[in-house]
Amino acid sequence: MAKIAIDPITRIEGHLRIEAEISGGRVADAWSSSTMFRGIERILQGRDPRDAWVFTQRFCGVCTTVHAIASIRCVENALNITIPQNAEIIRNIIIGIQNVQDHVIHFYHLHALDWVDITSALKADPAKTASLSASISEWPLNSPTYFKGVQGKLKAFVETGRLGPFANAYWGHPAYRLPPEANLMAVAHYLEALEWQKEIIRIHAILGSKNPHPQTFIVGGMAIALDPDSQSALNMDKIAEIRSLLKKTRDFVEKVYIPDLLAVAAFYKDWAAIGGGVGNYLAYGDFPMDNSGKPEKLWMPRGIILNRDLSKVHPVDDKKIAEYVDHSWYEYSAGAGKGVHPWDGETNHKYTGPRPPYEFLDTNGKYSWVKAPRYADQPMEVGPLSRLLVAYGAGHKEVKQAVDGVLAKLGVGPEALFSTLGRTAARGIETLLLAAELPKWLDQLTANIVGGDLHIHNSERWDPKDWPKEASGFGLHEAPRGALGHWIRIRDQKILNYQAIVPSTWNASPRDAAGTRGPYEAALIDTPIADQNKPLEILRTIHSFDPCLACAVH
Amino acid sequence: MTKITSKYVWEVPVRVTHWVNFLAILVLSVTGIYIGNPKSLALAPSGYVMGWVRFIHFVVAYAFTISVLARFWWMYKGNRYANWRSFVPFINADGRHKMGRMFRYYVFISKEVPYVEGHNALAGATYLLVFGLYLLSIVTGFALYAEYAPDSVMFKLFGLIFIPFSSQGVRLFHHILMWLLIGFAIHHIYSAWLMDVKERGGVMSAIFGGYKPLREKE
Amino acid sequence: MSRTRDGNEHDGLPDPALPPPTVWEERGISRRDFMKFCTAMSAALALPPAFAPKIAHALDQVKRPTLVWLEFQDCAGNTEALLRSSHPTVAELVLDVLSIDYHETIMAAAGHQAEEALAKVTKEQKGKYLVIVEGSIPMKDNGVYCCVGGRTAVDIAREVCGNAFATIAVGSCAAYGGIPAAAPNPTGAVGVKEAVPEATVINLPGCPLNPDNLTALVVHYLTFNKLPAVDSHGRPLFAYGKRIHDACERRPHFDAGQYVEEWGDHGHKKGYCLYKMGCKGPATWHNCPTQRYNMKTSWPVGAGHGCVGCSEPLFWDSMTPFYRRLPNVPGFGIESTADKIGAGLAVATAAAFAGHGVISGMRHDKGKPEDHEEA
Ligand code: HEM
Ligand code: HEM
Ligand code: NFV
Ligand code: SF4
Ligand code: SF4
Ligand code: F3S
Ligand SMILES: [Mg+2]
Repeated sequence: MAKIAIDPITRIEGHLRIEAEISGGRVADAWSSSTMFRGIERILQGRDPRDAWVFTQRFCGVCTTVHAIASIRCVENALNITIPQNAEIIRNIIIGIQNVQDHVIHFYHLHALDWVDITSALKADPAKTASLSASISEWPLNSPTYFKGVQGKLKAFVETGRLGPFANAYWGHPAYRLPPEANLMAVAHYLEALEWQKEIIRIHAILGSKNPHPQTFIVGGMAIALDPDSQSALNMDKIAEIRSLLKKTRDFVEKVYIPDLLAVAAFYKDWAAIGGGVGNYLAYGDFPMDNSGKPEKLWMPRGIILNRDLSKVHPVDDKKIAEYVDHSWYEYSAGAGKGVHPWDGETNHKYTGPRPPYEFLDTNGKYSWVKAPRYADQPMEVGPLSRLLVAYGAGHKEVKQAVDGVLAKLGVGPEALFSTLGRTAARGIETLLLAAELPKWLDQLTANIVGGDLHIHNSERWDPKDWPKEASGFGLHEAPRGALGHWIRIRDQKILNYQAIVPSTWNASPRDAAGTRGPYEAALIDTPIADQNKPLEILRTIHSFDPCLACAVH
Repeated sequence: MTKITSKYVWEVPVRVTHWVNFLAILVLSVTGIYIGNPKSLALAPSGYVMGWVRFIHFVVAYAFTISVLARFWWMYKGNRYANWRSFVPFINADGRHKMGRMFRYYVFISKEVPYVEGHNALAGATYLLVFGLYLLSIVTGFALYAEYAPDSVMFKLFGLIFIPFSSQGVRLFHHILMWLLIGFAIHHIYSAWLMDVKERGGVMSAIFGGYKPLREKE
Repeated sequence: MSRTRDGNEHDGLPDPALPPPTVWEERGISRRDFMKFCTAMSAALALPPAFAPKIAHALDQVKRPTLVWLEFQDCAGNTEALLRSSHPTVAELVLDVLSIDYHETIMAAAGHQAEEALAKVTKEQKGKYLVIVEGSIPMKDNGVYCCVGGRTAVDIAREVCGNAFATIAVGSCAAYGGIPAAAPNPTGAVGVKEAVPEATVINLPGCPLNPDNLTALVVHYLTFNKLPAVDSHGRPLFAYGKRIHDACERRPHFDAGQYVEEWGDHGHKKGYCLYKMGCKGPATWHNCPTQRYNMKTSWPVGAGHGCVGCSEPLFWDSMTPFYRRLPNVPGFGIESTADKIGAGLAVATAAAFAGHGVISGMRHDKGKPEDHEEA
């Protein structure tokens, strides 16, 4: 039995460390740790609740926006504020495009190199690559000359002898299985996706002033005025620009991302049986279709799937959520062994790990800055896969159609979803659905404006004078990486307590008081490892969750 | 029997700077409050309300600054009542004793009105604080003012304050100074009234005319 | 190897004596696009357009200097900003302009292999490579709040920044401690210069930084062969030399006395000044109004929300509450503005003296002139 540590896990957000025991060419046990802590929940105490979103947004610059949304929602919930329709729609568009952009960056720039050996692309025949590309998609950039150009660029780059960020990787690893042509196509799209993402995310800049960290959120609505007769507000010109960017968005997703995803997946079908994990899936649901705040009005439904049983979707009761710190570097005033609901949550940090520099953490004791959230004492996986499974289980029409379509194309059944490949595929399917839905939301906004509804903010309770002495609330949201919740307690117009349980807190969770593994840890069990000095397979499963540790710890 | 004569105590520069400062502070406070909390007056975009308010604030700020500097200069040039020593009574034992006596009078411990020709010792020390507030208003004011022209000598000089303090901190402080000055003004006008009307000290008229009534024991 | 702030005496990055290849064309960038980029750069650097050829010349000479990018207590927002950079694009940056030998978020290698790449740079290119740091460095409790590969951030920073030609602190966290350093600063977070005083550090604050300013800094260096002039907070004047308020498109409304009074009101729709909604533009030095974000699409005040002062040291404390013009007076609750406290103070003083006056009126003082003659 050999113990290995992979630190840093790269091509993710943040500071993640995986320790694993390898035995007989398989992972026997695994521990997931984050090694960075900032204490933003502490920093928020005593501040103006209306300011909180600016702070929490800085949990993460990758899923930027999501903590702003969850934060304003939790303050609005506490103060019982109903926001105008228009604000809800604009938020939906911002959330939707955030998911799409984040997923595509994840696939090409964070995850692809687990499956694609770029050095092999040098051996590809550009003409064959072109015909491969044309056979799977009508994307116009598919000529032999184009791929020859990309290959030439790559060659020139490699010949400098300075591989920069591509140096020292696991190139040539036996687990890489794509033919050179597919690799070359992927390299071309890696570069195209880079260009595309910065273009389409301008939707955030139009609606939110900039990205990352847009700045037009406010408690009660949005801080961007609507007025077709003003050049300083969201007018028809800007809406037209968003529309054309949404078209560009959908084009790329449909003609590049999805065909690539299917093409790559076809070579790695064995990964539909690896990396399953805890088997419980939680989704809060999102995209309110009106401003009533009712869960049944969410376009993506709320629910829980237990033990991979798609026949029943369980309801979500936020009171059943508790965080444990028995293996995390914190202390609870109530003592060890207990879970705490976030309204009463505490962030009393206390490091007890080895003094750096260290080789290994003490994985029997406390070993991470991530807390261990549990739902009814069960670990939960969250993310695009959970969302799709809940929607699938609930009979969501578009989701069922899309999921069945992809499964049929790959020739696998729904059980293939509970896996590393399933997670990666779910992200793509979700992107496809959102890219199709987004233009409809923009249409709703346009219709409202045309109908003369320019309402963007509910100012009734903007002034803290009008607040109750005490209030508490929660804000739920589906971030790209999954179910996100913020909980707030307000007293005397100030934040008394603020707690966030973030998608990656669920997924990267260490063990709880009962010693139950978190989703990353559970998913790694039994993963085949060809060469323990080059644990590419561990990266595949971990990356399939799209980890974000700045989020997880905050 | 006490004989009353009058004596020329407050020379012209003292009186002029006093009243220039008074008016300047009045205008600076009114304009300052507007700058700090403007009302949209629903005027045409061609209006220049804040522009003018700030312009007045700055012009008067210059007047105020010149007046304060003039008064400092007069602390060396003027008569002994205007001298800088009267603002630091606590540097010698006699002065401290006089401050104590005045303090006891103010807080009703003693009924003896300590009579002085220039500033009473306690007031003198208080004016030191006020001059301090003047200076701080000027320094913070000019530092904020100079931000619009980062290449100016003014910014190179006053901008140094932004190394240890944030711009917002300086702004807040500048704002709070106004309230401290208003607080002082209330107290000051009351004591002037107290000493003049009730105690017949003649201080009030002196700050207008310069002559203070003197009581001489025969 | 000298590491002076103006960079004059270094023997580091570009060597002007290198053969001048027309590399940019070879790399598939047309001369026209390239010159467009150079012109945009001279604007970003606040230089006259005549400088474009000089920039072009300098860039033609470059042999990809080595860059390592360290992430500490960060949110990766600056990395994401870099991904949105449009001139050059990040692809050009990675493939053509720089050799980015270490960057956790984008690099292919992981674990030991990644750490080896970093060690190689610090060892083999001592004094010649550039470092970009994103995120603050925790100093409390021996720095245990941020570790990479089992080593603390401060340990890594001392080695990597200490041996670099220069360090660019991107984002307000790396520059000044940023959000982790906000009160009560639970982890003792500080910026790079404070953690490694001996390093040559240029600060590019912002939350995140504007990537165009990073490009401009690199180009400035390559063009003039020295680091740019900075202000007292270590920020280049070309990007932080002017207040938001003095370049803001809403400024005419400020001067006119036209303010947004409520979100979504008439003034908000017509682009009035956001001063009363707490805009911190008057206290913030940054080129947002002119440089803008995401291919010059927009910027916070332009879109309708006040500036929160994200490029100022410790803005999380000095610029909050964000929706009030002035900070809270320390020690009072969030509802106590300077005006409320001040007015309260004035009323209390007046009341106290009124009371004093009544008591004075009732007592008989000694030393009072017996006769009632007035002078
Ligand atoms: C006793 C004297 C003064 C008083 C009572 C006073 C009062 C004020 C007040 C209340 C403000 C508003 C602050 C805020 O809320 O942001 C202000 C702003 C200002 N004052 Fe003064 N001030 C005085 C002297 C000066 C002087 C000598 C200057 C020098 C030029 C000056 C320059 C400024 C500037 C530049 C501002 C900020 C204006 C802006 O940001 O648009 N002030 N003053
Ligand atoms: C109705 C308004 C005022 C009256 C009647 C008045 C009266 C006087 C009198 C009688 C003195 C001489 C006091 C003494 O000998 O102890 C004096 C001095 C002084 N007053 Fe006032 N005052 C007025 C307003 C103000 C205001 C608003 C300020 C500043 C906030 C101010 C600041 C001073 C200072 C600093 C001195 C010392 C003068 C010097 O030695 O140059 N006064 N005032
Ligand atoms: N986990 C996480 Fe996030 C997301 N998506 C947040 O809620 O990445 Ni930064
Ligand atoms: S400065 Fe802002 S964007 Fe950059 S790492 Fe810090 S919080 Fe994130
Ligand atoms: S919006 Fe802000 S930066 Fe612009 S003029 Fe008004 S106060 Fe100044
Ligand atoms: S918040 Fe930051 S992005 Fe610019 S407008 Fe203000 S400095
Ligand atoms: Mg938390």
